[in-house]
Amino acid sequence: MSVTPEKKAPGVRVSGLSVVYRTPTGELPAISGIDLDLVPGTITGVVGESGSGKSTLALSLLNAVQSPGRISAGSVEIDGLGDVVKLRGEELRKARGRHIGYVFQAAQNSLNPLKTVGKQLLDLGRSHDVADLRGLVREAKDLLGRMGMDGARVLDSHQHELSGGMRQRVGIMFALVLNAHLVVLDEPTTALDMITQATILRIVREVHEERGLTTLVITHDLGVVAEVADRLAVMYGGQVVEQGPTMEVLGAPRHPYTQGLLRAIPRLVGDIDEARALPGRPPTLGTIPERGCVFRDRCVLRMDVCETEKPPVVSLGASIALCHAVEAAADRDGRADIPPAGGLQEVVGAQGATGVHEVRGEQP
Amino acid sequence: MFARRLAGHLARGLVMILVVTTVSFFVIRSVPGDPMAARYEKLVEQGMSPVAAQRAVEVLYGFAPTGGLWQQYVDYMSGLLRLDLGQSLMVPGVGVSTVLFSAAKWTVLPVLAGTLLSFLVGVVMGVYAAIRRSGRLGDVLAISGSLLHGVPQYVLALLLGAVFTTLIPILPTSGTADIMFEPGFNAGYIGSLIEYATLPVLTYALASYGGWILAMKSSVVTVLGDDFILAAELRGIKRGIVFRYVTRNAILPLFTILALSLGMLFGGAIFIERIFNYPGLGLMLIDGINNRDYALMGGAFLLITAAIVVANIVADLFYTVIDPRVRSGEGSI
Amino acid sequence: MTAPVIAAGGGRAALRRNFWRGVWRVLKRKPSRMLGMVIVLGFAFMGAFGPMFYPDPLPRDTAALYAPPSWEHPFGTDFEGTDVLSLLVTGSRYVLLTALVTAVITVVLGAAIGLFAGFRRGRWDSVLMRITDMKLTIPGLPLLLVLSTIWKFTSAFEMGLVLGLLGWGGVARAVRSQTLSLRERGFIEAARGLGLSTTHIVGRELLPSMAPFIAMNMLIAVTGAVYAQVGLFFLGVLPFEANNWGVMLNLAVFGGGAMSSPAALPYLMAPLLAILLLTLGIVLVVDAMDEIFNPRLREE
Repeated sequence: MSVTPEKKAPGVRVSGLSVVYRTPTGELPAISGIDLDLVPGTITGVVGESGSGKSTLALSLLNAVQSPGRISAGSVEIDGLGDVVKLRGEELRKARGRHIGYVFQAAQNSLNPLKTVGKQLLDLGRSHDVADLRGLVREAKDLLGRMGMDGARVLDSHQHELSGGMRQRVGIMFALVLNAHLVVLDEPTTALDMITQATILRIVREVHEERGLTTLVITHDLGVVAEVADRLAVMYGGQVVEQGPTMEVLGAPRHPYTQGLLRAIPRLVGDIDEARALPGRPPTLGTIPERGCVFRDRCVLRMDVCETEKPPVVSLGASIALCHAVEAAADRDGRADIPPAGGLQEVVGAQGATGVHEVRGEQP
Repeated sequence: MFARRLAGHLARGLVMILVVTTVSFFVIRSVPGDPMAARYEKLVEQGMSPVAAQRAVEVLYGFAPTGGLWQQYVDYMSGLLRLDLGQSLMVPGVGVSTVLFSAAKWTVLPVLAGTLLSFLVGVVMGVYAAIRRSGRLGDVLAISGSLLHGVPQYVLALLLGAVFTTLIPILPTSGTADIMFEPGFNAGYIGSLIEYATLPVLTYALASYGGWILAMKSSVVTVLGDDFILAAELRGIKRGIVFRYVTRNAILPLFTILALSLGMLFGGAIFIERIFNYPGLGLMLIDGINNRDYALMGGAFLLITAAIVVANIVADLFYTVIDPRVRSGEGSI
Repeated sequence: MTAPVIAAGGGRAALRRNFWRGVWRVLKRKPSRMLGMVIVLGFAFMGAFGPMFYPDPLPRDTAALYAPPSWEHPFGTDFEGTDVLSLLVTGSRYVLLTALVTAVITVVLGAAIGLFAGFRRGRWDSVLMRITDMKLTIPGLPLLLVLSTIWKFTSAFEMGLVLGLLGWGGVARAVRSQTLSLRERGFIEAARGLGLSTTHIVGRELLPSMAPFIAMNMLIAVTGAVYAQVGLFFLGVLPFEANNWGVMLNLAVFGGGAMSSPAALPYLMAPLLAILLLTLGIVLVVDAMDEIFNPRLREE
């Protein structure tokens, strides 16, 4: 098999996706009614606090939500595969790995501790009926080499002989070696030091462009998103509350939660006291409100309607937000941008800290 | 690394053997009624010269009845270094070491056979119990494992005996083979050996089976929750290969239990050999105690301990060979 | 388990109430666990009050030696015509009393040594653990047998003392690793940071969080002690001074020939059944406790 460059980056359309977890007190929603499009050839970042459902969303793309959770509604359409939610058994297994690559968090041990990387690579090849195993090994060495590692040596190593950054690159190699064109990275840089983090992100970006992938990056770190993502989805309480092009969302956040997140980032320049943590705690599985807006308890723009009505989908420019306040402001100003409470100044500062400077040029 | 581990084990084993022999020395020394002095006086009464009597008693117990405590201890220990465990009273004229070494095979072989049997069956059942842990059969397996694990060996032996020798008398109750057969490499003798060993081996197997099933079940459950298993599934690795990942990783911690289990079985051999009148080390220990043959008693105690020490070392070396983390010296397990 | 640090006063009471409700729910979920409780309580009652219902010495029916089970003698009679059931009940006091003494000594010694080693760490820890390791590997039963030649520990308390002194190794090891793991979670450092004294940390924070674990070990120690002493008497190396299940086994097998003649079988089976029933009860209770205290193990 080896490389088939003709294969194109697939588009992904998540619509109405809901996942519930079975608990002693009944089935509780972890994510509910998510709509999200991954544009072919782009990197989409999903940010959210822990418990926001972002990892569940990532696993849903492979129809791999772990028991006691299950996908209760919606579909995940992937070009060339169809609706993944409907795939079962062998079909599903073959799609994983070959069509969709999944990269685990680096701190997690995603390799069998008893086998060398090379042997696990051969297991992967045999599982996907790769005829040319030598070619597969060559491809793996090549990938590892491009990520700055000695391929032969890595293939001969056990997991415990590799550092966190090396493991992460091995994980990326496993996700790409079968030439998957949709790659999901779950917290790819968590628990790595700053330098390794930067290297991994550079590699993600490079490989993405080189191979023409569609990439989804799950993270809790806005800096990571700002660095690599073309598009951004912000998750809270099991819902995507705001999504759009990264520059637009970070430059002019609409949703009060996104604004709060940006305000919470301490800046390199200026007074540290200006960073304000978001008050309150994110909801857990059992405390997500059934009706109304999931964010209302921590929201500064809270209105009565937030208690009862589901927030409307408000499109502003290329981005979308789910919020009553945003809708009200848009109506009032005749679809003008509401002056974001987060303030542009702050956003620029935040991005200065994460190394994205282009935003300045886009300032009005 | 390998050599260092081995050296550590040997050192610890030596200390254990030192402790055990010291205990038996002091027990022999402080037995009420001082059997050595009594024997010495009896020999002198029978007309033996004091020197010859002293020599005779020394041969029996491994140290002279007169002389200071420390001198006696040193005598006893240096005798042990030469593998001289004294003379047996019950089998006159034969060294205790000879008696015990011929008895050792009747303990070691059945224990090993029972362990191997229960390990194989227990591991397979443990995997099944883990995978079906919410099903009825998994529940039954786990509870039966707990019960068998909890029941003492002599209860198992007595129950098996009651069923297979009293109620349905199909298996022999005592000895190692039918005396009709000439010991040697012939079908009749070997068949008879197996027939006579069935009950002891079955008891050893049942006694340790529960432990294996429980340990394997919890180990498999732990590994199933490990990230690398999910990672393998997300890479689309075939079920059969993932299953092998699970079982190989789950079986590793069992090797640390292997040592404990063997220790328990060697200790429990006393009951099983007594019940089935099987002439191994345990029966020798009991015979030594009941006949006040203290040299035999001390020797049997020593050999049982030594068997456990060796089992420990072997189990650990197994582990070292299998786990790459320990092999390369990174793991601290 | 961090809750007790924060919760005070009323919080504690509420926790306790919730705890008992949890216990009840776990017991109710599997009826077998109720059965376990009933069995264990039944044995405790039998040991405490059972012997009061029988005259001392027990009556003998010399016309019915090794009588088969009947309404009058549910487990038949022994070689002297004594009712086996009455032997079983009167023998239980010695067995259970010894087991209790053993369990208390095992748990107190084991917990103290384990806590000390885990709390102090360093040299004390390694010395204590070396000793513990050795105790664990030296075969207990052969050692007991050898010791029995010079010390006839026949009273229930003496027997319990010996078994307890020989048996604390496992508990010490387990408690130590629990202490270490609490330590690793920053539990002790946090308490130190709050300015709590060592006695407070050990007595009010560490011990309570380990109490269920220790209680489980105590139950397991009870079964271990029962097995060990019954086994010693069964082997016949101790003088038969007290009526005891082990003595019954010994007389049934080596006196009555229960391994070859069915006549003595009921006599043999009675103590065996008692041991099995006690084991079953304790296994079921431990299973329930396990689920109460380790919600992680709850099956999906």
